[in-house]
This record gives sequence, C-alpha cells and structure tokens, in this order.
Amino acid sequence: MATKSLAQMRPKERGKITKVGGSGHTHRRILDMGVVPSTEVTVERVAPLGDPIEIKIKGYHLSLRKEEAVQIYVEMIER
Amino acid sequence: MTKKLNIALVGNPNSGKTTVFNNLTGTHQYVGNWPGVTVEKKEGTCRYQDYQITVADLPGVYSLTAYSLDEIIARDFIVEEKPDVVVDIVDAGNLERNLYLTVQLLEMGARLIVALNMMDEAGGRGYRIDLEHLSYHLGTPVVPMVASRNRGTQELLGQIARIAESRVPPSGLRIDYGREVEEEIEKLEDLISQSALSRLYPARWLAVKLLEEDEEVTKKFKEGNVD
Amino acid sequence: MLTNEEILRAKDRALAHLRSIYGDDAETIIADRRYGFISGVLKDVVKKPAIERLAWSDKIDRVIVNRWLGIPIFLAVMYGMFQFTFTLSAPLMDWISAGFDFIAVRAVGISPEWLGSLIGNGIIGGVGTVLTFIPPIFLLFIAIAVLEDSGYMARAAFVMDRLMHKVGLHGRSFIPMILGFGCNIPAIMATRTIENPRDRLITILINPLMSCGARLPIYILLAGAFFPAYRGLVVFSMYLIGIILAILMALIFRKWLLPGPIGHFVMELPPYRLPTITGVLVHMWERGKHFLIKAGTIIAGVVVLVWLLSSMPWGVQYAGPDSWIGHLGRFIAPIFAPCGFGQWQAAVSLFFGFLAKETVVGTMGAIFAVKEGSLGTAIASQLSWTPLVAFAFMVFSLLYVPCVATIATIKAETNSWKWPAFTIGYELALAWIMAALIYQIGSLLGLG
Ligand SMILES: Nc1nc2c(ncn2[C@@H]2O[C@H](COP(=O)(O)OP(=O)(O)OP(=O)(O)O)[C@@H](O)[C@H]2O)c(=O)[nH]1
Ligand SMILES: [Mg+2]
Repeated sequence: MATKSLAQMRPKERGKITKVGGSGHTHRRILDMGVVPSTEVTVERVAPLGDPIEIKIKGYHLSLRKEEAVQIYVEMIER
Repeated sequence: MTKKLNIALVGNPNSGKTTVFNNLTGTHQYVGNWPGVTVEKKEGTCRYQDYQITVADLPGVYSLTAYSLDEIIARDFIVEEKPDVVVDIVDAGNLERNLYLTVQLLEMGARLIVALNMMDEAGGRGYRIDLEHLSYHLGTPVVPMVASRNRGTQELLGQIARIAESRVPPSGLRIDYGREVEEEIEKLEDLISQSALSRLYPARWLAVKLLEEDEEVTKKFKEGNVD
Repeated sequence: MLTNEEILRAKDRALAHLRSIYGDDAETIIADRRYGFISGVLKDVVKKPAIERLAWSDKIDRVIVNRWLGIPIFLAVMYGMFQFTFTLSAPLMDWISAGFDFIAVRAVGISPEWLGSLIGNGIIGGVGTVLTFIPPIFLLFIAIAVLEDSGYMARAAFVMDRLMHKVGLHGRSFIPMILGFGCNIPAIMATRTIENPRDRLITILINPLMSCGARLPIYILLAGAFFPAYRGLVVFSMYLIGIILAILMALIFRKWLLPGPIGHFVMELPPYRLPTITGVLVHMWERGKHFLIKAGTIIAGVVVLVWLLSSMPWGVQYAGPDSWIGHLGRFIAPIFAPCGFGQWQAAVSLFFGFLAKETVVGTMGAIFAVKEGSLGTAIASQLSWTPLVAFAFMVFSLLYVPCVATIATIKAETNSWKWPAFTIGYELALAWIMAALIYQIGSLLGLG
C-alpha cells in the first residue's frame, strides 16, 4: 500500500498514520494533539497561500505547517 | 461552620472553562471562541451549602507537558498547588482529544470530576454518550453540562461537595503501556518509591513522566540531589 | 537511601532499552497507548451516527478559508469591521456632541467666571470631546467581539500564517495583532500562548503599531475635518499603515535583533459558534469600561491640568502663546517643524498624549475650547493646517509611543525595562521619520 508523508497528501485524501517522526517540542505537541500511529487523518484543505494545511483527526480540525507534516508518515486509504 | 475548599478548572483550550467559572462565581471573565483566551490564573469564590469555595480558572492545556507561558501557569497550578478538587472541563463534541488530559490528571492521582461540557453540540452532531459507562471506565463522577446556557452548574456543585466529603483517596488510573514499557515502569517505580518525591506524587506517575522525558519532572529529580 | 542520580541513570538505561526494541521514543509509545486506552473507552461509551453529517461549521469553512477566497474574505472582514464602526457611530456621535453643546452653553453663564471657564472650556471641551467618541470605540469592541466569539480568529491565523512566517513571525502572532485594534494591553497578554520566546517578544514589540481604539478619536476628528469626502478611506489607511509597518518592523527585528528559527504552528480550529448578544455586549462593556474609567481619571486630570496651564499666569489670554502651556508648547514645537505640525498647540497635545492617546484630542479640545464638530474647523483655521499636515499628524499619532498602561504591560510581560524602553525609542524614531517623509515628499509633490 502507498505510504507518503502527510505533507504530500492532497485535500480530501485519507490515510492512516504509520509513524510520527521528529523530536523535541514540536514532536511532543503533535503527539499530544492526537497525531499518533494508527489514527486516521483526512486532509481538509491547504491554506490560501499554500501553507499550512488543515487536517481532520480524532473528530476535530487541526492545522499545521508542511514542515511539521513531512515528519508524519501515512498509509493511504483507498476510497 | 463554613468549610473551605479550593478547586481548579482545567481542561483543553476552548472547552468552556471560563464559561463555567463565570457561572460558578457570577463574574464576567473574558470568553471567546478560540484557543488561548485565558492566559493567566483567575480566582473567584462561590458558596454552596456550607462550603466556601475558591475557584481558579486556568489557561487551557492539551497535556501536562507544558511549553508556552500560559500552559506553564496552568500546569504548575495543577501539579504544585494541588487543589482539593480538580474539575476537568471536557468538550463532549471532541471527547477523544480532551480525554487525553483527563487520563493524565487521573494518573497523577488528582481528585477529579469530569464536567462534560458542550453537550448541546455533541447532541447536535448525533453523538450519544453513555455517561454511566464513561464514569465507570474513568472511575470519576461525570457531570453533563451546557455551560453557555448555565446548565449543569448546580449538579457540578453537588458533585464537588460530595467528592470533597468522601474520605477515600482517589484510586488513580492505570493504563497498560505494554509489556516492555511496563517492565521499565516497574523498575523505576521501585527506585522512586524509596525517594522523597514519592511522598508528594504517585511513584508510578513519576516513573511514566520520566520515561516521557518530561522536563519539569526530570528537573525535580535533579534538584532533589542538591539537598 | 537511593539518590535521585541513580533514578535518573536508571531512566536513561530504560529509555535506551525501549528505543532498541521499538525504534521509537518512549514518549511516542506512551502517547500512543494513552490514546489507545481512550479509543477503547469510547468504543463502549459513544455512539456516533453511521454517516456523520457535514457540520454547518465545515460548510462555512469551505468558503471562508477557501484557497481563492480566503484572503479576499479576510480583507473584506477587516474593511467591513471598520465600515460597521463608522457608519453606525456617525449619528450617535452627533447626538452626544449636541448634548454637550447644550450643557456647554449653560456652563458659560456660571459664576465665578473661572469656574465657568473650567467647566465650559476644560471639562466639556476636553473630557466632553473625548466622550463623544464612545460610539465608534464601543462599536469597534463589538466588531472585535464578534470576530472572537464566532471562531474567525483561528481562521485568520490559519490564513495568514504563511505570510507571517515569511516575515519571521507566526500565524499565532496574528491574533494579538487583531486584538490590538481594540486595545494593546490584552493583545500583548495574549502573546503568552506563543511558545518560542523570540517569536513572542517580536510579537510584543510590534503590537503597539496596531492602532488601538484610543487613537480612533484623532483619526475621526481630523479625517472628518480635512478629508470630508474620503474620511472612511483615510481612517482605514491608518490601520493599514500600522499593519504594514508592523510587518516591516517584524522583518527587521527578526533579521537583526532576534535572529533564530521560528517556532512551530500547530493550532486547533474550533467549530464556528453563533455569537450571543449578551456575550458580545459583555465583551464590549468589559473592554469599554476601561475607556470610560480613563476618561474620568487620566483624561479628566490632564484636561484640568491643561486648563490650568492655559489660564496661567493670571489674566493671560486663555490658551494664548504667552500662557504657561504656550511656553511649554513653544519649547517642544521646533522638533515637529520638519513634519509640518510645528505649532505649539500640536506639540502639547502630543506631549500629553504620552499618557493615553485619547488625551491628544482632549488637550486640543481644552486648548481650542470648542467641542467636536467645530474643533476640526478650529484646527484647520487656527493652525492653518493643510490636509497633508493633518495626515502627517495622524500618522505620527498612530506610531509614536505606546500609552503608559501599555508600557507597563510590556514591562510586566518581558520582565525588564529594556524592552519597553526600546519600544518607546523605536516608535518615536519611526513616527518622526514617517511623518517627516510624508510631509516633505508630499510638499515636493505639491500636495501641501
Ligand atoms: N455550544 C456551546 N458553546 C459553549 C459551551 N460552553 C462554552 N461555549 C463556548 O465555547 C467557547 C469557549 O469558551 P471559554 O469559556 O472561553 O473556553 P475556555 O476553556 O475558557 O478557553 P481558553 O481560555 O481559551 O482555554 C465560547 O465561545 C463559549 O461561548 C456549551 O456548553 N455549548
Ligand atoms: Mg478561558
């Protein structure tokens, strides 16, 4: 199955998180917000200027920059 | 005779803490629909039966690991001041992420009440929440609320009084972190239970926090070496 | 007894061991397990409908933060906010100033004469003038409250993050900037949510450039008198100048003063909620009452002082060049000559405006001893200002020094006198340079 980073996903694409890379504060904050392995995410949209992105995870909306999203690996879910 | 009680309102940002605070104390602290409205601790009082209750409204936090100044204020109050009762304001429409903090508060051994706020929005989305089961799984009272319409305030006060009177210490929550992690927790717990810090906090919680590389708890151990 | 050092060493061993098995940090495993526990609980506790309806909040977001519409909508929201404020406030202001005229006429008759002068010239001319601006200021607070309560704030941060990132700031920094349109004090406090200390400090330093409600009276007064046909546009331009300079200064501070990486942007977008009338009114009152308190304390105090300085020495022509205030003004005024407003009356108004920006108008009101409406014309005729000078004066008022309360807040939030002092310094320089540039270039182009 296709694996890519969250930053590469396009709006409306869905996937399951496989790995949350990175370290330090950002990593920790992302985990605390519910971005943990085996959680489903949907990319909702990209901001007008191309960054950040908005995702739906655990039933709520979260925005994060692409530079944070590249560390998050996702297994695509076919529709 | 009046009895004094200190309670703290904690919860994720934007879960309605200040709205509840205003309902309890009759004040008009600033409320807004974005995360991070409250950035300092605000205290107020209210009376209930023969209790004189001091209520602290705190900035929102997603976790007990705090980074920004407002989060540190909230974390320090919960961890260091140890209020008699902690009221965890939980957004019922966003349960999964909100309970992440709840779980951490329970692990810490806080005397906790879960105030399940925004029940109107959860209902509007068609969520059906079994309050009794939730209360059973968490081992805490659960009070449904719609703070923006001042619903559930009296019930919350009732629970606060009830839990303040109960003599049983909070049972805490044990999460199974998986065999390997549990083994390490156990080892650390053994060591920690012989240290002075374990008189202030549950040894298991300290062990988990060390494994999470929590800066504040690690610092506590480092400082403990000095004396 | 075990030492804590042994515990910490045991922790390091445990972490190394776990990493060797999982290849992940223990913190990831722990967070994962906690969420796993929660999922388990929720499976038993929550029943969600089979197909989740698309919440109306999500539908709104399809438009509001849309790829193409996001930025135009943001600009429209800002413009709408000011249009709302000005359109609705104009008739209300007329009523209030008519009310004060009514009292002022009767105050002149009061004896002894000095008391009549104190009430008519000082109090009504000064404090009354300031109070005339209650409607726009309160309406502005209402507009900001609607932004805050609806959920748009987080969206604005989302839309603007990229731009802010480019200048070395943060989408999060944008929320304090919008709040600054109301008042800089809560805005500066709101920076506490910014994790990175450098990001936070820059956001604090530029916040006073965001034009707060207290500066509104100056713009409305002068735009009404000098740009009757374009008053709305001219006032709006002040806000734009503030934003543009804030972004520019952020860029400069990031580059030379506080270089370093920018903190992450991970922010929740809460669902839209319908602002309630009581909620919005409470907001307006909580913010607005400080304006009333200021009018009754600092501004009233300054106005009485201005009246006294204008009346002294005994027998001098009220607020004439030989009164004490005239001497003070003539001493300061030359500094402002290159900016076009080197008259002593302008100088003293700016001088007292150090305390709170409303006092700029209050002082003028007390000096010219006429109420708003005619105050604008009095300034035009007595100071023989051109629209260009008025514009330069507005820009100077926008930019120069934060009010005393804001300075105190910067001190409290940065824990040192260094940063408030720095803010005063750079703002004074910026204000003077901008006003001088506008006046000099404008004069060259024959706009004077
Ligand atoms: N629909 C609904 N909205 C609510 C309820 N309680 C609070 N709100 C709204 O939720 C938003 C957040 O409320 P606050 O009380 O400011 O939340 P807070 O937890 O203090 O937020 P921070 O100070 O940012 O941490 C506001 O717009 C409230 O009006 C509720 O029960 N139902
Ligand atoms: Mg709050």
